Amino acid sequence: MSRRGLVWMMMVLLLSQVAVGPLDAHGPTRQKVTEKVEINAPAEKVWAVIGSFQDMSWHPAVANTEGNGGNTKGATRVLTLRPAGRIIEALSNYDAGKSLSYEITAVDVKVLPVSNYTSTLSVEASGGKSVVEWKAAFYRGFLNNDPPPELSDEAAVRAIKGVFRAGLDALKAKVEAGG
Amino acid sequence: MTARGMRASRRGLGSGLALLVIWATAMATAMAETAPLPVAPKLAEAGEALITNQTGDSLSVVRLSDFRVVAELAIDGKPAGIALSPNRRTAYVTSPDGKVVTIVDAVSRRLMGRFSSGNGPLGIAVNPVSGRVYVADWYQHKIMAHEPVTGLLVGEKSVGKSPSGLAVTPDGKHLLSADRDSNQVTILDADTLDLIGTVAVGERPFGVTVSADGRRAYSANVGSNDVSVIDVPARSRIGTVPVGRRPYAVAIAQGRAFVSDQYDATVTVFDVATLAVVKVIPVGDYPEGIAADTAGRNIYVACWSANTLERIDTATLEVTGKVAVGDGPRAFGDFIR
Repeated sequence: MSRRGLVWMMMVLLLSQVAVGPLDAHGPTRQKVTEKVEINAPAEKVWAVIGSFQDMSWHPAVANTEGNGGNTKGATRVLTLRPAGRIIEALSNYDAGKSLSYEITAVDVKVLPVSNYTSTLSVEASGGKSVVEWKAAFYRGFLNNDPPPELSDEAAVRAIKGVFRAGLDALKAKVEAGG
Repeated sequence: MTARGMRASRRGLGSGLALLVIWATAMATAMAETAPLPVAPKLAEAGEALITNQTGDSLSVVRLSDFRVVAELAIDGKPAGIALSPNRRTAYVTSPDGKVVTIVDAVSRRLMGRFSSGNGPLGIAVNPVSGRVYVADWYQHKIMAHEPVTGLLVGEKSVGKSPSGLAVTPDGKHLLSADRDSNQVTILDADTLDLIGTVAVGERPFGVTVSADGRRAYSANVGSNDVSVIDVPARSRIGTVPVGRRPYAVAIAQGRAFVSDQYDATVTVFDVATLAVVKVIPVGDYPEGIAADTAGRNIYVACWSANTLERIDTATLEVTGKVAVGDGPRAFGDFIR
């Protein structure tokens, strides 16, 4: 392993110790968000853009992806966001050409107001076109009753919808432009 | 009006809360025909599954004979937990966001009333002998005991942190609480709510299920991805079975335990005598509430992300049917009548 890789791995380990982990307490109602986009391109072409767990550069909010383990179950990645913020994620399932599932192992609720977050990104052929679906299950960021507005169920859903919509719309533009 | 209803009305009058009296009297009158009997004669199975749809704010009624949704009742406040009266005619549904329990007449499919219960009512169980309703308060770390017809609070007891699943032994004597954030199951006297004992289990127990003979209990441990087997009379853990990721709850039928593994979208089946895993069955995404029919022929599991209720044949261990229900089905508790 490269020295840089080692440093990243240590950071991941360190951050997962201090940040909110996936098994902490949570609110009583799990939320769900599903967003889709139809792309005028074959599914293989779309998968070529989204299919690497180690490269999320297709999302406009992601400035950098660094990780370990490639596309094997248990692989990790650290997303550095623009303008600021970091999310650490782990790959839980990978079906080449079709879908990848992952969970957030550490994120500050100021970056993304969610906890116990899992997500699946998938692509399906539809004629000569394809449909990309991004769905997530999560609890709000506030772990106790009567959350402040910025950490409510609604705020969590709004944030994830925003992330998904921005990503899917950018993905469509990129693939259809031949990127 | 039943004797139980009259007693409840008198208690309401004594308290001097006029509104409560009016409400309780109306409730008792309205529910006279469906009020739980003090001792339950085991009625013929109605053949329905009552599925709480948490994100969809509703209750789906699924007829089991042809596996179709025959009704959907609106229940707000993000309904999640469910339990049935001893005669299986009345359902109690918790809405943790609304902080209420809704009483449903399952025969006429009408909402009969609501009562408040703590700050985060989630897990719920009904005493199969007395009909008393127990509600776990996720935030106040308490068990609330309510009178079944009026919902009057008749007792409360602090337990471990974030009590989740509740279960009562078939003789009606013991109440078990899976205290999620204390990694224990608490056993209470179901009548007095006195502490009988606690049993250390795996990490973050969520659902807890008692065997038909009342001697064993099984907690699904979300944090350690296993099921703890508890000897109830001895108040000790006697086994651990590794299952899929984030197990939610356990159902028992034909000498086997069926465990819903949320993150793996599977049901893990193990033999309750040997504790050996028999099969891992793929189901819809996020399987949660799971229960057996009275005869033990089928297991039903609500899949939260897939929005389905799925049926598993306990003889072949295959999925034999799926039906679309409302959005975000949880069916956390006793939901087959």
